[in-house]
Amino acid sequence: MSARLEVRLQKRLPGFALDVEWSAGDGVAVLFGPSGAGKSLTLQCLAGLLRPDAGRVTVDGRVLFDSAAGVDTPPQKRRVGYVFQGYALFPHLSVVDNVGFGLRGRPRHERQTRVDAVLAKLGIERLGQRRPAELSGGQRQRVALGRALATDPALLLLDEPLSALDLPLRRALRDELRAILADWGTAAVVVTHDFTEAYRLGDRIVVYEEGRVIQAAPRAELLWQPASQAVARVMGLTNILQGTVLKATPDRIQFRWRGQTLEAVNSPTRSYLPAPDSTLGFFVRPEYVRLIRKDRGLADVAHHMNVMRGRIVREADFGTTWSLYIRLDEPGEPAQGEYDLEVEVPRLVYEILEIEGDRQWEFSIHRGSIHVLPST
Amino acid sequence: MSSEIASAIGLSIQVAVAATVLNAFFGVPLAYVLARRRFWGKSAVDLLVTLPLVLPPTVTGYYLIVLLGRRGWLGGPLYQATGWSITFTWYAAVVAATVMALPLLVRTARAAIESVDRDLERAAWTLGRSEWRTALEVTLPLARNGLIAGLVLAFARALGEFGATLMLAGNIPGKTTTAPLAIYTAVQTGERGDALLLVAVLTALSCVVLLVAGRLGPRTI
Repeated sequence: MSARLEVRLQKRLPGFALDVEWSAGDGVAVLFGPSGAGKSLTLQCLAGLLRPDAGRVTVDGRVLFDSAAGVDTPPQKRRVGYVFQGYALFPHLSVVDNVGFGLRGRPRHERQTRVDAVLAKLGIERLGQRRPAELSGGQRQRVALGRALATDPALLLLDEPLSALDLPLRRALRDELRAILADWGTAAVVVTHDFTEAYRLGDRIVVYEEGRVIQAAPRAELLWQPASQAVARVMGLTNILQGTVLKATPDRIQFRWRGQTLEAVNSPTRSYLPAPDSTLGFFVRPEYVRLIRKDRGLADVAHHMNVMRGRIVREADFGTTWSLYIRLDEPGEPAQGEYDLEVEVPRLVYEILEIEGDRQWEFSIHRGSIHVLPST
Repeated sequence: MSSEIASAIGLSIQVAVAATVLNAFFGVPLAYVLARRRFWGKSAVDLLVTLPLVLPPTVTGYYLIVLLGRRGWLGGPLYQATGWSITFTWYAAVVAATVMALPLLVRTARAAIESVDRDLERAAWTLGRSEWRTALEVTLPLARNGLIAGLVLAFARALGEFGATLMLAGNIPGKTTTAPLAIYTAVQTGERGDALLLVAVLTALSCVVLLVAGRLGPRTI
């Protein structure tokens, strides 16, 4: 299957260079990465609002930009819908006129029918005569989507669509946006710097860092198999660590870390086989470290693997969870400053195990919870 | 009211209206271009337009004579070809008032246009509008209050223009004597009653203008 959207862009700006190549199929592609990584810049290039120095952009085989062939379709003719950060609704026009703005030139009757249909589909048919200033954040999002979708664009671009909202509304609208995008079925590209948002909205996630793509993968693959330490860092993962390889097979990797011999599941699909003694990047999700209960006797080796001992040197209360920062009972410098491992436990566990008065713990990490990071 | 006073006030309003219309035609597009486009020589254009605001009006008037007078760069060839010169006609008063009022309009309008969110214009482009249609349907309507405030200021400035008008149009009663010039003449010839009346009328007009501008200026849609 050929991709619906193929993007290759190069653009030099003072102090910044964008050089990216990625593709996306049906559904929603998310450009994810920190602020200033070039995500919005990419969107502007896709819409024709900014001219790249070189590259090629095709949507469903239609060439929008090709520096080699001298093609640069103006934004007016690209059939690309754009939902701006903060929505950019025309404040002097009613909801009906905003949504109908892109339908100019069509017969009046057709235009009206189309606007009515769009408003009805988005459930805002009763807001038609309102001005944008009289709408709530959620209503504005729907009007902005309606305005962009009314013209049946070949591609829909959304620049940080939820960043203008406060947190509780943000969560609700994230799921609403997901439903609307799925409902319309238009190929879409969403820019966000929030990984949860990226994961909830995207079928495919393209990770940006400093003007480059460091991974492009289906969202589940990205979540469990970040391609590199850089990707893991951008995703906001903690406990990104480095060990020394002992033995690697397609199924398992054994390695040394802070005086421990640990075992991790290797990914057969990735067939990553680092040589012995080479450096190995890996990460451990804090919520997947298991504290071993002291009231149940000795740790059962069948239940626990990769067992370690350590002391809590710092902790932080996050309301529903506690983060514990553990330093292993090993000589030498801890891996992450004053501690080796961040561990997250639910508040209930924290209270039942009486962690507040007990700083010395044994814990284990299942080999499936140690994620190996190819060091590309 | 003597006929001379009436004609001076009538001429002033006529000149100010004409200068405001010219400002709207040339000043608004100029403000748009200065606000939204980048081009070679932009800062020179900006400087040239703003200069009458800070130059002594007689200096601006002198430049206008150099440009448009019977022996001027443009006025000279015109006079030789047609025997007609703009100097000492009421058109000259219009030109002088237009040039003097232009910086007020352009600066106010430019600021208003620059304050319009560029994403609104970009949105209009992606929805199929040309830059020209976008300016007419989005940018200028949203800058409307600033544009009107600028035009009101330009009208007031044109109404009170003295120095440059005197240089280019002279002070010919019934022909180029606007209200400010008539006040000067009345004071010089000791006709204090006439001067007072003209001063009262101009003060009243200026108050109206300020009130209108004050209502429009700070508010946005």
